[in-house]
Amino acid sequence: MTSSLSAARSAEVPPKPRSRVRTALVFLAFAAFTVATCIPAIGGIELDVGALIRNWSNGSGLLVQFLQPDFGFLPRTIGPMLETLQMAVVGAALAAVVSVPLTLWAAAPTNPNAPTRVLVRTIINVVRSVPDLVYATVLVAMVGVGALPGLITLFLFDLGIIVKLVSEAIDATDLPIIEAGRAAGGTQTQINRRGVLPQTWPLFANQWLYTLELNVRISAILGIVGAGGIGRLLDERRAFYAYDDVAVIVLEILVVVVLIEIFSNFLRRRLV
Amino acid sequence: MRIDPLHAEVGTSPASASWSIRLDDVSVTYPNGTRALSGVSLDIAAGEMVSIVGLSGSGKSTLIRTINGLVPASSGTVTVGPHTVTGMRGRALRELRGRIGMIFQGFNLADRSDVYRNVLVGSFARTPTWRTLLGVTTAQDRELALRSLDSVGMLEKVWNRAGQLSGGQKQRVAIARALMQQPSVMLADEPVASLDPPTAHAVMHDLRRVNRDEQLTVLVNIHLMDLARQYTTRMIGLRAGEVVYDGQAAAATDHDFEQIYGRPIQPRDVLGA
Repeated sequence: MTSSLSAARSAEVPPKPRSRVRTALVFLAFAAFTVATCIPAIGGIELDVGALIRNWSNGSGLLVQFLQPDFGFLPRTIGPMLETLQMAVVGAALAAVVSVPLTLWAAAPTNPNAPTRVLVRTIINVVRSVPDLVYATVLVAMVGVGALPGLITLFLFDLGIIVKLVSEAIDATDLPIIEAGRAAGGTQTQINRRGVLPQTWPLFANQWLYTLELNVRISAILGIVGAGGIGRLLDERRAFYAYDDVAVIVLEILVVVVLIEIFSNFLRRRLV
Repeated sequence: MRIDPLHAEVGTSPASASWSIRLDDVSVTYPNGTRALSGVSLDIAAGEMVSIVGLSGSGKSTLIRTINGLVPASSGTVTVGPHTVTGMRGRALRELRGRIGMIFQGFNLADRSDVYRNVLVGSFARTPTWRTLLGVTTAQDRELALRSLDSVGMLEKVWNRAGQLSGGQKQRVAIARALMQQPSVMLADEPVASLDPPTAHAVMHDLRRVNRDEQLTVLVNIHLMDLARQYTTRMIGLRAGEVVYDGQAAAATDHDFEQIYGRPIQPRDVLGA
């Protein structure tokens, strides 16, 4: 009886469409494109893999120096490292505050007015499209060497990330409270403040913590172009070929980044 | 702290005088071309308790949303109390909505906020935006929020997160939020479709009490025939966007329901005890 049932069913089920040929063609096209990008003759990039072997002695010498960090240098790194952390925290905090209204203006459920929404989104996309080191370089030229250009760089960088990711998350979130607020005669601002913000604040908090993590990593580099923090010291020691000191700084950055990540993971788990 | 029953405050306040509702040849066509209502004319007197019965897709939700302007009528006129909803915009529309309470099938609460803040949503229309932004509440609104919660038996949950409540409790908080508006009309869109039978009866009971105690005009969308018969006095049957029945709810026969549904009655058309 069961066999007759399954026989009847197999007769009814339409054949599954096969698309193997298409999948294979798409795969081949991607593979060919990737290979083509590495052929200089047709405008691809030049990859001299042989350099890895030819210059190996340089690399190994550097690695040996790296493996002998001079921990006597550590006290001199504390100040710049603190400056890096301060830039990271203050930049993330300022961006967090400013991100709230901008995000709500950039998401469709919280801003039904299309022209202002598109305007905010366009501005944010422009801000986002400039790389962080470009901001830092230009700002150092504008406001001078120090922590300030680094801070502004981090602020702009964070703002772009938070507004883009959170506003897209809000677009994809079902928020029935909005209809209730509208039915109660609320303005969009009232609905956003009392209805949407409480519902979406974990989305915000997640990105705020993420940008804090990013900031510690980025601000370690910003000093290389003169924008304050531990990066300046790193660049200076590297210029003196003091790789034992550089190794200390790199290790320290690693430890701090891991600590911040542990801390933000701890906070994130308590969110929900 | 003892709190007087809600009607002591709301029932006597002139702001909550009940309103009549009139639809005059109202049609609604959505932008995607779907015609949800065609040529609906209704006259609902102040203080009536009316059920709107029909299958899903019959236009019930659209009809109820034309009354507070959440869905604009494509043609025809909607009048609520002394106001013409059709063509109303901006502040005038928001103030009108402030006088029309509404509850929903999915409760539509802010689950991550506490019950108290959810009820305060009902004060939006009479509160300046800057006050809401700063979170400043008047003593009067605080008092009214607690009274509203008390009148639906939810006062003890005032500091709980809305998301922690059961379905029936959430719907009661939603009713308190609507009462917070000191409404002249109460709309309910399938208020018990997500609830189990005993809770459904309790919520319908609450709605009838609101209708009787405050003399509020109440419109309930419902697809269950026994609830419509038991709790409402007048029944309007919708089928494919047109009114096919309008009469006493208790007198509606099974044949009338078959006309509304366009098919024989099935067990799922009845809630049961």
